[in-house]
Amino acid sequence: MFLSRRAKEAIKTALAMAIAYYVALSMDWPNPHWAGFAVAAISLSTVGQSLNKGLMRMAGTLLAAAFSLTLIALFPQERWWFFVVLSAFIGYCTYRMAASERQYYWHVAGFVAAIVCMSSIPPTDNAFNIAVLRILETGVGILSYTLVSVLLWPSDTRGELAAAVRELTATQHALYGRYVQLLRGGGDPSETLGLRMQEVAQFNRFKAALAAARTDSYEVWEVRRQWQQALALAEEVMVTLEKWRESFTEVQTLELGALLPGIDDAAAEIDARMTGIGRLLEGPSPDRRPRALTLPWDREAVGSLSQFQKAALAVLRNRSLELERTTRALFETIADIQGLGPASERSAAPTPSPRLRVIDRDHLAAALRVMLGLWVAYLLWIYTEIPGNTAFVIMLAPFGMALATRPMVPVMAVFVPAISGIAFGSLLYIFVMPHLAGFAALGTLLFAVSFAVCYVFHTPRQALGRTFGLMMFVLVAGISNEQSYSFLSVANTALMFPLVFAILALTANVPFSARAEKVYLRQLSRFFRSASYLLTTMPWGVTTKPSRLARWRMAYHRGEIAGLPQKLATWGKAVDVTTLAGTTPEQIQALTTTLQALSYRLQELLDARESPQAEKVVQELLADVRAWRLRLQEVFDAWSRETAAESAQHLREGLDARLAQLEQRVAETMNRAAEGELDDADRERLYRLLGAYRGLSEAGLNYAIAAEGIPWGAWRESRF
Amino acid sequence: MNLIPSEFVIGGVYFPPMLIAGLLGTAAAWLTAQLLNRYRLSRFFAYPPLVLLALAVTYTVLLATFVIPG
Repeated sequence: MFLSRRAKEAIKTALAMAIAYYVALSMDWPNPHWAGFAVAAISLSTVGQSLNKGLMRMAGTLLAAAFSLTLIALFPQERWWFFVVLSAFIGYCTYRMAASERQYYWHVAGFVAAIVCMSSIPPTDNAFNIAVLRILETGVGILSYTLVSVLLWPSDTRGELAAAVRELTATQHALYGRYVQLLRGGGDPSETLGLRMQEVAQFNRFKAALAAARTDSYEVWEVRRQWQQALALAEEVMVTLEKWRESFTEVQTLELGALLPGIDDAAAEIDARMTGIGRLLEGPSPDRRPRALTLPWDREAVGSLSQFQKAALAVLRNRSLELERTTRALFETIADIQGLGPASERSAAPTPSPRLRVIDRDHLAAALRVMLGLWVAYLLWIYTEIPGNTAFVIMLAPFGMALATRPMVPVMAVFVPAISGIAFGSLLYIFVMPHLAGFAALGTLLFAVSFAVCYVFHTPRQALGRTFGLMMFVLVAGISNEQSYSFLSVANTALMFPLVFAILALTANVPFSARAEKVYLRQLSRFFRSASYLLTTMPWGVTTKPSRLARWRMAYHRGEIAGLPQKLATWGKAVDVTTLAGTTPEQIQALTTTLQALSYRLQELLDARESPQAEKVVQELLADVRAWRLRLQEVFDAWSRETAAESAQHLREGLDARLAQLEQRVAETMNRAAEGELDDADRERLYRLLGAYRGLSEAGLNYAIAAEGIPWGAWRESRF
Repeated sequence: MNLIPSEFVIGGVYFPPMLIAGLLGTAAAWLTAQLLNRYRLSRFFAYPPLVLLALAVTYTVLLATFVIPG
């Protein structure tokens, strides 16, 4: 019998659902739909993925049970304190959910706490039973799905992991090839955009496949540390490739072959090792191992360059060496995974300096929104006759947490599948279920419905529809050993959800509009405020010593600068350009790319600033750097108030004059320095710093050019 | 104007008048918001989400008082 994979997966979920219900009903447990929920939530395409999610669901349930019982014991008769602590816990889980790798664990911990706490009032004496039942039935659901997927058409994730990493490294290799072409003055930079987006998607697939394969494949588990390192290195290669590309603009006019005689050899070596990584992943050992590169300068040729050209070359060289180091480390790690062992001594990655823990503002806002929604629901439940009673407050938690951590998803995108699931479940509940007798008939219905839902919503994109379809069906059906049928319970459930989503839609707009273009503008403003603040920190260590609070503020703004371009890219895709006449998706994409470049350049400058400079250089350049910094700070301040306040032309004039002055001062300092006063390392650090100044100015100009073409008036206009 | 409380009957199911007024009020507010967007009148509001909520409440109260009294 040849069944498609789609049919097999649907059969597995349907069978697990029927078994989970059978066990829960035969044990005479109340709320057997909790076992059904667990099956619906963890049904994914491989054993590893499902088991991983199942384990997180179980761990989250245990945490929630322990928290809930403690809370009920502490505040059995104090409803306000009880809910203050409960909402704070759910808020904390939402914050962690948005920030953590174990997103599902925190999600489950939050909403199960709401279920156990709210289901046990009043009275509170059955709280322990509810918590234990929830744990038991979640366990039955996970066990049922795991057993079915292990015994029936098992599929592990090892193959998927290998395919994911092979595709990622192939894309990185192709991207590297294109960048080499760009460096040599050929190719079109816009052609690489598709590859870059593909690279990010493949990296995420690699990450998900690794998390799953660690659980379902012993071979992967054995070398999990190496796999984790390979994942980190693949990400590092991704970032380094982008930084490397960013450094091309200023060296386009230079004769690179003469200045860095080993550059062609280095390019060929990196290309060969990327081919080697691909071969290693296919099985046979590669015929050659990577060798370390040094990329020396030709002192005579470099001596004839201007100071800024030397600086740009220093930046390119630095980033090329970084790329060399990361690709070599990736090769060695993959060789280690394949059992070949690292032939050469592993190049140790530089340990990043420890950073202070800072709060992410968007994650905090998500947590506060969930807490606000919970309080609105709680007050409505206490002071009015709300449909669903405590279930009304409970339902706010899972949906609120899911929506708050993905604010760009419109509430309607979740509301429609939820309401469709209720309508579907209601029809079965009213017209089909009263005709059933015994588990044979009920089990057949459960199997048929689960199969149909999973078969129809089979693609990963339809996962939301699948989960909601199954969950709403088991929720509305309310199956128990003493089955009763009540139209009122269906009507109340159907009415409860629009109210839950109305609260979510309202809280999403507190305190500011949730429209994508408005969020984009606010984040853009935050980006420049942080950039401006970071520029003010530049004299640190030279003229002033920062306090602990000031260092914490700096860490916060560095976090903003590093994280906001990614958030802006996500929000940029959600902007509805049909309402913004004169704006195209390409313009938003281009603007986001310039912000990413600006972020890299600013981070580069701050890193370069942290390396110790020779005292003489610091004193000589202080005044000129200050003039340049103040001008840029002024521009960033203006951009934080109004998106395109400073025109590219005006900006260029102001910065060019200051940079020319700075370049001249650097040349004078170098020439005046007595023999032995500045060594090679001092000169290199100075060039790196100078390159960072120039790079940041260029990135600012590119932003100004991209921002000028967008009609910001339409973006700022108030809209419903 | 009929001020005697009355329920809505759809297919033998009785619906509270406030529910119907609420649903119609929300729909009317949404429609008004779309029209205000269409004719660029929404730009005169500082905080449109609150205006939408206010419209929904106003329409619901008006409908519940004068059209569907409960």
